[in-house]
Amino acid sequence: MREKLHPFHVGLLVFMVQAGVVSIFLPRMLAQYMGYNGWVSLLLFSAVATFNIFLISVVYRLSDGKSIFQIIEQSLPKVIVFPLYTVLVSVWTLIGCIAAKQYILLFTVFVFPTTPPMYMKFLFDIIAYSLITKGIYNISKAATVFFWMVIWTALLLLFFLKGFEWVNLTPFFFKESSDVIVGGLSIFTAFLGYELVLLLFPYVNSKKGFMSAVYFGNFLTTFIYLAICLTCFGFYSFKQLTRMKFPLIDLLAYIRLPFVERVENIFIALYLVSALMSITMYIWAASETAQSLIPRASKRWITGVLVCGAFAVSWIPDVLSEVELWLKYLGYMASGIAFGLPLLLIAILAINNGGKKLV
Amino acid sequence: MGISNDTREGAAFMTLFRRTNRLPGKDARRDDNRPNDDADVPPSLQHTLDNFKDCMDLVHHAFPEINVNLVYFGHLVGAEELSRDVTIPLTNIRENEVQALLTRNQYKLTTNSKSLIKGILNGEAAIFHNDNVYLMDVYKPEARSIQQSETETVITGPHDSFIETASANLSLIRRRVKSSHLKVIKLEVGEVTKSIVYLLYIEGIANMEYVRELTDRINLIEIDAVHDGNMLIQYIDDFPNSVFPLFSTTERTDTAVSKLVAGRIVGILDGSPSVFSAPSSFFEFMASPDDYYQRWATGTSLRVLRFIALFITLTFTALYVSVTTFHYEMIPEALLLTITESRSKVPFPPIYEALLMEVTIELLREAGARLPTKIGQTIGIVGGIVIGQAAVQAGFTSNILIIAVASSAIASFVIPSYVMSASIRLVRFGLIIMAGILGDLGIALGIAYLVVHLSGLTSLNSSYLTPVSPNNFKDWRDVFIRAPFWALRRRPSQSRSPNLVRNRMKK
Amino acid sequence: MYKVLRLFLTVLLFGIVTGCGDQRILEKLGLIQTTSYDIAPGSDEDESKQKLLISVTIPRPDSGTGTGSGGVNREFLTAIAQTSKGGRVNLSRQTELQLVSGQLRNTLFGLSLAKQGIWEHIDTLVRDPSISPKVKITVVNGNAHDLLAKNYPFHPRTGQYIDRMLEKESHSQVVPSTTLYQFTKDYFDDGIDPIAPMIKEAGDNVKIDGVALFQKDRYIMKIEPKQALIFAMMRTDIKQGDLNVDLSGQNRNNEHVTLSSLVSHRSVHVTPHNGNFRVDINIKVSGSVLEYIGVLDLENDKDRSTIEKLVSEYVQANANEMIAVMQKNRVDSLGLGKNIRSTLHYAQWHKMNWPDTYQRIEVKFHVNVRIKDYGMFTK
Repeated sequence: MREKLHPFHVGLLVFMVQAGVVSIFLPRMLAQYMGYNGWVSLLLFSAVATFNIFLISVVYRLSDGKSIFQIIEQSLPKVIVFPLYTVLVSVWTLIGCIAAKQYILLFTVFVFPTTPPMYMKFLFDIIAYSLITKGIYNISKAATVFFWMVIWTALLLLFFLKGFEWVNLTPFFFKESSDVIVGGLSIFTAFLGYELVLLLFPYVNSKKGFMSAVYFGNFLTTFIYLAICLTCFGFYSFKQLTRMKFPLIDLLAYIRLPFVERVENIFIALYLVSALMSITMYIWAASETAQSLIPRASKRWITGVLVCGAFAVSWIPDVLSEVELWLKYLGYMASGIAFGLPLLLIAILAINNGGKKLV
Repeated sequence: MGISNDTREGAAFMTLFRRTNRLPGKDARRDDNRPNDDADVPPSLQHTLDNFKDCMDLVHHAFPEINVNLVYFGHLVGAEELSRDVTIPLTNIRENEVQALLTRNQYKLTTNSKSLIKGILNGEAAIFHNDNVYLMDVYKPEARSIQQSETETVITGPHDSFIETASANLSLIRRRVKSSHLKVIKLEVGEVTKSIVYLLYIEGIANMEYVRELTDRINLIEIDAVHDGNMLIQYIDDFPNSVFPLFSTTERTDTAVSKLVAGRIVGILDGSPSVFSAPSSFFEFMASPDDYYQRWATGTSLRVLRFIALFITLTFTALYVSVTTFHYEMIPEALLLTITESRSKVPFPPIYEALLMEVTIELLREAGARLPTKIGQTIGIVGGIVIGQAAVQAGFTSNILIIAVASSAIASFVIPSYVMSASIRLVRFGLIIMAGILGDLGIALGIAYLVVHLSGLTSLNSSYLTPVSPNNFKDWRDVFIRAPFWALRRRPSQSRSPNLVRNRMKK
Repeated sequence: MYKVLRLFLTVLLFGIVTGCGDQRILEKLGLIQTTSYDIAPGSDEDESKQKLLISVTIPRPDSGTGTGSGGVNREFLTAIAQTSKGGRVNLSRQTELQLVSGQLRNTLFGLSLAKQGIWEHIDTLVRDPSISPKVKITVVNGNAHDLLAKNYPFHPRTGQYIDRMLEKESHSQVVPSTTLYQFTKDYFDDGIDPIAPMIKEAGDNVKIDGVALFQKDRYIMKIEPKQALIFAMMRTDIKQGDLNVDLSGQNRNNEHVTLSSLVSHRSVHVTPHNGNFRVDINIKVSGSVLEYIGVLDLENDKDRSTIEKLVSEYVQANANEMIAVMQKNRVDSLGLGKNIRSTLHYAQWHKMNWPDTYQRIEVKFHVNVRIKDYGMFTK
């Protein structure tokens, strides 16, 4: 009795992987790179992501639910498969660990300026490891609970209805933008995470709901990002926003409840779970790939090695700016994978099928 | 103990003890009809008496004039039943009529020695006539009368609860479910105690896969004794190492019946008033029968209250520790001076202060539970005054902490299931320690780990977190709220019932 | 299998190993409640060489003398330093507590400092993650240190007293509630200039002394307290307020009206006008008259509309007066720039020099006062 993933859970899983620590500085990035009313450009990025998901859905349709590793291994020689897998494993593992490190370092900015971040990272990785070894079905179960733990905080944005001024938005669109290409790529990495559904093919139950769930997850991410960014653009003045390191945290810090103030302390801690989901899914993906690379190794062992490796690597960058730099380049690579992998698979499948089912 | 001095049996016990108690697996099904030496021995009076040698409570009656011997345990049989069904008929007949009498079908002819001995142990009277042995069920053990449950009380609703006698418990359920679809499977656990377990399910509502799985798991138990339902479930649940109870137990008849009609399997262990039901989900432990006996709005608010209580229990003290150790900026201005003032005399860091108080509360609770009610009350008063007043005045703890600790203790008792409430109280300690080390991040890490742990759990292979994940919004209306009955049309998804609709009324 | 136990032990072990460098145990903290910044007396005239006089108050529940009358239940520390954070180091040498700013509520700036510009100090505050964006910014008409240092006999804990007073007054819109967030927002916005409440010492009390108007971060001018409410109406919608009107300006001597429970709504219309702009600001005010001294009869509909008209004129006259001064001083505290910006293209907006244009634009106020009711007792 092996459980299959229900579309709803796939949707939430995609959302939880996509939405991560980035949302904390996303408004600033939009203001910095996209200029006035940069939040509108989110729709554009979302459209790109949606197109990417469309590519994945083509792969899914052509593959008949076969695992992508099967497809690749059937058609490509070992010489190509081996380095390809190695790249996938390393990029995904690194993204997972560096994203986690970024979250931890972010936290140390606020609360634990002198506690060694690697200690917190260690606890974090233990949790990630114990989740990954439970398998994708349980990961998705945890993702669902985490989703409910996090999503209600979006309601806190209602708190800003009062301070929101349309006039702050200005009628200017994308003026004073800078580094549109490079910045745009960085912003696009905020949407990454959906590409991992490529690995979910063998684990989903219903054929028709699966891809719409992925679209739904992406839509949800877009919606939440839009809500956050629109609020920031309307609540802060543009120039101010470009100078704020962590607009979302500032936003939360503004909330004052009768029994508790400065709720951002609780909420940054709470957003741990979305960071946790990102690292979990990326390392899970890496370990799935590693498993096809070394079919005889036990999964637990592979995961253990990957998590330890990730932990070791995350020693290297030790200040936030370094981590951000790493993450930028890893983001480019992951974006490359997100587009390249489905295209490769479509090509393979198209050749295999003689182009019959492509339409 | 004088149970048996049969050396072969004794040796068999020893080997069983040496076997490791393992998690029941599908393929490891035990062959229930394991050949036993006794099975081959034809039943005889001599063999029986040998078997019960040194059991001085055994009654042996001889009727030499009709060539009949009667063997039974006097304290297991009802005097009235014995005389009505056995002694009086036997004393009033002649030898040639005995055979005719014993062929009446209430007298069971027994052909093997093992079942004979088992019968006698189960309160049947053995009638030896010539070479034949008949068993007559005259079982009537001494039993506690049916009373109100002390651990699960409700304000309105039925007040009867299960007792230690399985037959009485069965009767309580049968009286409520007058249906031939209520099926009962009889199983046996405990190599020494041979306790009987009845598995109840309603045919057509319960998923037979669960029934099979549960039967298999119970058959796999190889242990000398099982004393209570809560103990039994630890041998058969999916994750014996988890802090949380994976099957729910109840002493209440109405609860057990409601689980049955919801499509769950109910198990009764003879000798225990705790009846378990499976599969269960985490959220099932938050429900109380009271929710259904009151109007839906009241029921809903009770449910919500309990989830708030769960939150308070888990996090209140931890938040206190976290805020006073790391996140002073979270304190609102109005409370700032009060908290600072009450903390200023305390000599320990908040984490030790909190652990000290939490342990004290647990001591009080445990002492109260162990002592007779009247002394327990004294403990409560003394504890309350000493801890509450004196500790604060002596500058041992801050009074804000007392509020936090007390409210989370009270909140923990709002959770209807005692076993669950104890588990959650234990988990709370973990969170407090995490809060003391890493503040809010520690709490978040702790809760994240908790969720990861919970999502790995299954109850009879079904997700422990149903209906949150796998998500089933329809079930939510009977989990987080108690919707009006017209809205509760389906059985919970967890029971995977072949007959999902339970309410066919038009609005 | 004993994962839980293992995790628990790891956590415990690490907890012991890492120690408590980042602990902020409440009673060991000096929770700064109010900070004041001044130019240190006797400083150089040259701005770059000036030193800063920084004072902080820390409420103490248990200061030896107790909470009885005259008892001091706050700690007051002062230091002179080059920068504000440098001052912190200096301050913490004076106390056994660890100074933290997470509970900072209010910052006071001395007038002379405010005139030089306060952004570098605000920047330090905004940068510090432990400081709330809701910290108030207040200008002291005079010396902030002296105001804060003084113990006011009827108000124990000076810092808290000022904070609560500002809170109350900003609730009734007499002064704006300027927070770090608000100030930073307006500072960076090119279509508005920041404002802040102003207070001054008045014998045994502290008194609200109007509104300080900034140009960028430099204090330029102030609005008198009696005009503050009208200023608020010009600036934003108000939900509650009391307006005392002396009608002598409208040629009616010895007539006074007090409007209570004022609610006002403001709308701004911008029309381009001969290469310039004309800004129409409509202010709708409604309130109840609880006090009227004069010859008119409140019962009489006609008389009442006369009063409405008179009050409207009064408000309008005050508004015109204020805007004229503001335009002269080139402070756009009403944020008219934002409204004009909304009607323009990016290039147009950036081509024109807003502070210059601001001086030239035509601002018209249209005030419409309605009397909702006039009390529960007739003459």
